[in-house]
Amino acid sequence: MSTQENAVEAKKPWRLSLDSWAVVLALLAALLVRVGVLKHIPW
Amino acid sequence: MADVVVVPQVQPVQPALRFLKIIPGVLLLGAIGYAGKLLEQNVGTYAKAHHWIFPNIEYVLWAILLGIVISNTIGVPEIFRSGVATYEFWLKAGIVLLGSRFLLGDILKLGGVSLLLVAIEIVGAIAFMTFLGRVFRLKPKLTTLLAVGSAVCGVSAIIATKGAIDADDEDSSFSIAAILALGALALFTFPLIGHVFHLGDKAYGVWAGLAVDNTAEATAAGALYSDAAGKLAVLVKSTRNAMIGFVVLAYAIYWASQGQAKAVGNKAAFLWQKFPKFVLGFLFISILATYQFFNKDQVGTLANLSRWAFLLTFAGVGLRTNFRDMRKQGLRPFAVGAIGEVVIAVFTLALVVGAQKLFGF
Repeated sequence: MSTQENAVEAKKPWRLSLDSWAVVLALLAALLVRVGVLKHIPW
Repeated sequence: MADVVVVPQVQPVQPALRFLKIIPGVLLLGAIGYAGKLLEQNVGTYAKAHHWIFPNIEYVLWAILLGIVISNTIGVPEIFRSGVATYEFWLKAGIVLLGSRFLLGDILKLGGVSLLLVAIEIVGAIAFMTFLGRVFRLKPKLTTLLAVGSAVCGVSAIIATKGAIDADDEDSSFSIAAILALGALALFTFPLIGHVFHLGDKAYGVWAGLAVDNTAEATAAGALYSDAAGKLAVLVKSTRNAMIGFVVLAYAIYWASQGQAKAVGNKAAFLWQKFPKFVLGFLFISILATYQFFNKDQVGTLANLSRWAFLLTFAGVGLRTNFRDMRKQGLRPFAVGAIGEVVIAVFTLALVVGAQKLFGF
């Protein structure tokens, strides 16, 4: 990789992937269930 | 300073705007999924009340069928498309939450067996698809994409490999179309075959997880058979997904050695970048459940949340299935994919039956 490409690469903003966002949302939901904010979700 | 490139400032789309843009599509997913659930509850009751003989159709199939009908008749209007595309996000969130229904011991026991089966399936599928690609004289990179798509995990694997081996856009859209078309067929054929062979929930779930390519379709194919089969299909499919980085890395190194792709720099970073993070989330939640971080009611609530997330996914699977688009992609890659999938399905079915006798899962 050239220095120029490295410079461009370095400027890319750091972002979470779709996968990671899904994990974050699921863990947040699990936490809300654990602390009792989400009590009963019917099916 | 002379080496630094000045990158023009691109105005990012406001996160709030992006969020607003997905709302109509997510609501559509919810409406179709919920309609599927209502149809499951009411059609059977109505048929029974009128003494009709009508098969019990689960919400999974109703949601998929409703989505397919909409997609292939009126189509999905532009306003809904961004939101409909989030169905993979809901799938992954649903899989993480499903982790609460697995105890770590079960995962280690079944995961060990499924890891062995997945390794055999991946090697066998890649070898056979490469052979088929040569017989049908497909372009080598197209063959690579089809092999990865059918051996590992469908669309995500194809997209990851495309970037790593510098494949053409046309090759990747061919492969994605073939994998999606075959996934749609698997949704309807796998449960039928399972019933014909009187497969138990465990054997069927492991088979669906091993042989159906896309995670959404594997989850749906499992859920169409039974709840227990759905759980196992997700576990085995996640094991397959976890292998994605290794397979893509091997192909990237191979194509770089041929001078037809960029060399891979930091291999550990490459593996981490390609690794599906939702597998880690799934394991983390199951560890928490194993150590009773959640009580019984809370596990039930998490399981229901996971079902709602899958409901959105199944509606998305239907909405994404467009037969007109699939027909446009040409016959040869589809034929290679179809022959490959049939052979892989038979091979994995034999593998599962053999493993069940050997390991007794």
